[in-house]
Amino acid sequence: MQNRLVLTATVEREDVLRYTPAGVPVLEMWLRHQSRQTEAGAERDVICEIQSVMVGEACRAWAGRVAGQELTVSGFLCQRSLRNPRLVLHIESAEFVKG
Amino acid sequence: MDTFETVEVLLDVPLHGTFTYLAPHALPAGTRVQVDFRGRKQCGVLVDGVANPALDPAKIKPLAAIFDELPPLPAALLRLIDFVSAYYHYPKGAALFTALPTALRVAQAARLADRRAWALSAAGLADQPPARQRARLALWQALQDGPQTIHDLRAVSAQAPKVLGQWLEEGKAERAEPPSPELEVADGPPLNAEQQAALAAISDSFGRFQPWLLQGVTGSGKTEVYLHLIACALAAGRQVLVLVPEISLTPQLLQRFADRFPVTPIAALHSSLADGERLQGWVDAWQGRAGIVIGTRLSVFVPLPRLGLIVVDEEHDGSLKQQDGLRYHARDLAVWRAHDAAVPIVLGSATPSLETVANVEAGRYRRLLLTTRAHAAASLPQVRLVDTRLLRLNEGLSEPVLAALAKRLQKREMSLVFINRRGYSPVIACPQCGWTSGCKRCSSKLVLHLLQRVLRCHHCGWEEGVPRVCPDCGNVDIQPLGEGTQRLESAIQRLFPEARVLRIDRDSTRNKDAWDEVYRKVHAGEVDILIGTQMLAKGHDFGALSLVVVLGADGGLYSADFRAGERLFSLLMQVAGRAGRAEHRGEVLVQTQWPEHPLYLSLVAQDFDGFATRELAARREAHFPPAIFQALLRADAHEAHEAEAFLGQFKAEAAPWLGEVALFGPAPATMARLAGRERMQLVFECADRRALHRCLNQALPLLERLGRKAGRSLRWSLDVDPTEM
Repeated sequence: MQNRLVLTATVEREDVLRYTPAGVPVLEMWLRHQSRQTEAGAERDVICEIQSVMVGEACRAWAGRVAGQELTVSGFLCQRSLRNPRLVLHIESAEFVKG
Repeated sequence: MDTFETVEVLLDVPLHGTFTYLAPHALPAGTRVQVDFRGRKQCGVLVDGVANPALDPAKIKPLAAIFDELPPLPAALLRLIDFVSAYYHYPKGAALFTALPTALRVAQAARLADRRAWALSAAGLADQPPARQRARLALWQALQDGPQTIHDLRAVSAQAPKVLGQWLEEGKAERAEPPSPELEVADGPPLNAEQQAALAAISDSFGRFQPWLLQGVTGSGKTEVYLHLIACALAAGRQVLVLVPEISLTPQLLQRFADRFPVTPIAALHSSLADGERLQGWVDAWQGRAGIVIGTRLSVFVPLPRLGLIVVDEEHDGSLKQQDGLRYHARDLAVWRAHDAAVPIVLGSATPSLETVANVEAGRYRRLLLTTRAHAAASLPQVRLVDTRLLRLNEGLSEPVLAALAKRLQKREMSLVFINRRGYSPVIACPQCGWTSGCKRCSSKLVLHLLQRVLRCHHCGWEEGVPRVCPDCGNVDIQPLGEGTQRLESAIQRLFPEARVLRIDRDSTRNKDAWDEVYRKVHAGEVDILIGTQMLAKGHDFGALSLVVVLGADGGLYSADFRAGERLFSLLMQVAGRAGRAEHRGEVLVQTQWPEHPLYLSLVAQDFDGFATRELAARREAHFPPAIFQALLRADAHEAHEAEAFLGQFKAEAAPWLGEVALFGPAPATMARLAGRERMQLVFECADRRALHRCLNQALPLLERLGRKAGRSLRWSLDVDPTEM
């Protein structure tokens, strides 16, 4: 089953690094994407925001460094919780966009 | 061999009745013996009784040993056991052995240090050692002034034990009871008018049976009244039994008694004593050497030949009821003992149990009120409810609570945050799929203990590591749900980084010396915010608490147990009572979603009587105790249907002779599953206590028969006057 999203976006807000009860680090952030895309043969502006989260040891290296930065991230989508169907991007890999 | 006679022996076995053995000579009831029972050596106690005439005399075994290092157990104890066995429908032998200290339950002679003093006999006095035997002469001279303890004599000469042993053999020395010291009572604070009135009324009832309810608001000086009463009883040459809940039997309390009665021997009996110490205290009380016995519920059985007064402090406390084996209520047995010994009994509490209130209303008990705090400057705390329905909570704490804590911090006054739940959070859950950390063996949740990174069941003790991912869906981001003391501690530390926070719960005080450290810190002013469970609510005086915050109390309103409200109210009154005990006027903030609940309104008004009147009326209307009497038949087994079948069968067979007794069930217990066993129960209810007991008497043989038939997996027990359903 395919579930993959690649997105270049600016980190609007970065939460404080937190840990799960088992001690796994979790970093939550809000991404804002802005670009030009082609649709029905015409170029258009695209703006969107998505909540995203990094889970696991790797996110320690990113904590405290990403707010305001532009990243290219890739990962999968999952609903926020049982009761809240809003999509959250679970980041598996990320890199800074050299500007 | 024909001089042998048969005796009846009680054994520590779950069987009713006595067992017949042969004794070499007549022995008094109460004698401890060793017998051979089903191939095992067992300790037994002789009682009066008649041998079963059907017994073949040739098959009766002789007693294996007779323990006579101590006198036979007193008749008063055997009388109490007769009552206990009949009232709680529990085998008499098992009941007796519950009452005895461990050292007397085993088939061995009790070993007690002989602490009697040494004295010279007439022969010894006449026989002065020659001057060259310097040590002997020094000891002889030391003993001229009367009996001396071995401790003192050793200071005279290191050879004292050897020399005295020799003199004892030669008949020159003898053991002497140390002269009982004159009663000495240290000065206490002066009594106020109400305390004096209570003291006068109760001391007037010395020498006859009279139950008293001493109902005094927290900090009203009930203990001071007890101390004065005890002084009166001791002055009359009587012994005093003081029962307290486990949690309030603190070194602090014992010190207070020891300071007041500096020369009176006090036997303190509690669960952390070694067997030898417990035996010593028990025997001291029984032999009349201890003037005061202070102990937890089990002390209600301690024999006291010169009993003059019984005090039951915090008589409403749940820990006075034993919840397994012989399910007795120490307060109720204490009342029976007071009646048996014709002495007054004082039940003390700020929030008496509704059973006791009903007894006052019925005129069986008399009530004395202490309505003002003993410390002249201290007034009752002001209780306010914080409605959390409309407030945003920060880590479970509302804005008014945070502001109040900040204010106390600024004024350098100590606050207490109370939450009756230890651990970090009461459950962890997966927000993705709804999984929660249930205990595999119980119908309860595993509590997260973050510091040790374990999930723990507070009911069966099961412990496991925190799963790295959700066991159901694999999500890593599983989350703690709800607040416990540990989470509150870290939240408050984060919100008030400059505050010195101290958490007190069963986990933080597990270490034996932990309490000493707590007291030292609190009294040295090294704590700004205390966070704790009910351990903090009961019995401990922390002096200058100016703010008490109560969190998570609403849980008690939702319980299915009809006593939950009573328990919640008395707990909250106790917690609130921690505020403002010294010169500070205390403030109490209770976070709740039910600010108009009558229970909370009574709390705000600090109105126990109003609460009790309303609650008693509700109980009468709903036919709950104390308006009626209950017994609970519990059954548990690996499979629920086994327990249900046992109870169902009993109900069907008992139907013809139930009479006015109503049976409800079988139904699952509140904790339907505990430690891997399914639990069901059947409730007996009757407005007439005697009819209920007649029914239980008839029920017992049937239960035993059905129990044997049901097979190994099934266990059943009968709980008379149950306090937990």
